[in-house]
Amino acid sequence: MTPCAVTTGFFTLGKCGRMAVAGCPACGRAICADHIADGGLCPECAAARGQLGHPAAVAAQRRRAYRQRSSEQYDDTVWYTSFDTFDRSAFDPGAGASQDYLDDGDDALVDS
Amino acid sequence: MFWRKQKAAIAGFHPLHQALIHQRGFSATQPAAGWAELAASLHRHAGLVRRSKWELPPRMLGVIVPLIAEICTDLGRKGALTVTADLRGHEAPGKTHPPRDLPVRPPVKSATDTWAVDPWLRLRADLRDGSVLEVLVVDRVRTRRVTKRNPRGKTKIKRKVKQVQIIKVRRKLPPDAPGNRPVSPPPRWIRAVVQDGPRRSVTAAAKVTRKPQSHHEQLDWILAVATEPFRWSAR
Repeated sequence: MTPCAVTTGFFTLGKCGRMAVAGCPACGRAICADHIADGGLCPECAAARGQLGHPAAVAAQRRRAYRQRSSEQYDDTVWYTSFDTFDRSAFDPGAGASQDYLDDGDDALVDS
Repeated sequence: MFWRKQKAAIAGFHPLHQALIHQRGFSATQPAAGWAELAASLHRHAGLVRRSKWELPPRMLGVIVPLIAEICTDLGRKGALTVTADLRGHEAPGKTHPPRDLPVRPPVKSATDTWAVDPWLRLRADLRDGSVLEVLVVDRVRTRRVTKRNPRGKTKIKRKVKQVQIIKVRRKLPPDAPGNRPVSPPPRWIRAVVQDGPRRSVTAAAKVTRKPQSHHEQLDWILAVATEPFRWSAR
C-alpha cells in the first residue's frame, strides 16, 4: 500500500497515511481520495496556486501562513524550516522526519 | 405566531448551536467529528436566522470556530476536545466584583472602581502525540466612574473602561518525551515556565493591555502564545 503523504495537523505534524489513490500532477506526492483538491492537486499545491475550494487546501494554507508568521514573531527560523523539512520528507519516505504514517499499529501517531 | 420559520430553523440546529443562541455559551467534550458538525451548523446560521436577538456571539465564528478547527487536526483517533465558552460578555451576572470606593478630594465627589473577570474561553485537548493542551483566555475589565462638581454646581460623570486580556496555554508533554530547548526566547510579551518531572509541562502566558482590533488579531494572539509550548518538544 502506498500511503497518502499529505501533511496533517497544525501544531503536531503527521502524515495522513491512508491508502493513496493518485499522485499530485504538480509535485508527484501520493494522495488519498480525501485529499484530492481542485484539479487533482494535493492540498499544498492547490493552496500555493490559490485554489482553496477543498478544506484541506485551506488548512494547508493556514498552517504554512501560521508557521511563517510565528517563526518571524519568535525569531526562530528552525520552527519554520523543521515544518518545511517535514513537509518535503513526503518525497523521501526513507528519511527526514519521523515517518509515523508507515506505522499502522494501534498506538500509531496518526490516523490511518 | 411570530418568527415561526426562524424558530423552526433553530430547532434543527446542533444542540450546542442552540445553547449558544439561547444561553450565549456552552460546554462540551467531543471528538473532531462532533466539532465539525457544530461548525457546519453554525455556518448555516446567517442564511436562516436574521433576528438580532438570536444572533451568534461575534467571537464564536471569528475566533472559536477557527481555533477549534486547527486543534481538531491535532487530535488522535481517540482524542477529544473540551470547550467551555462563555460569550455573555463581561457585564453578565457573576462576573463583576462589587464596586470599590477610591479616595477623592474636591472637586471630585466620588470615584468607584469596578473589576469584571470574564474567562470566556477554556479548551482542553488530548493531542495525537500524547500531550495535553490547555488554553485559557480571560478578559479583565476595569470600569472607573468619577463624579465631579464644578463651582457653579453642575455635576458631571466620567466613565473610563480599561481592558487587559490574559492568555495562558499549557502543554503537558507525553511521559518521558525527549525535550528540546528552543533556539530563541519567546517575544517579550510572552512568558514561558517549564516544569520538569516525569511529565514535562510548558506554560506560556501573555498579558495584552489593549483590546484586539479584529477577530483575526485575537486568534493570532492565541496562536502566538500557543506556539511556545510546542517549541519545547523535539522536531
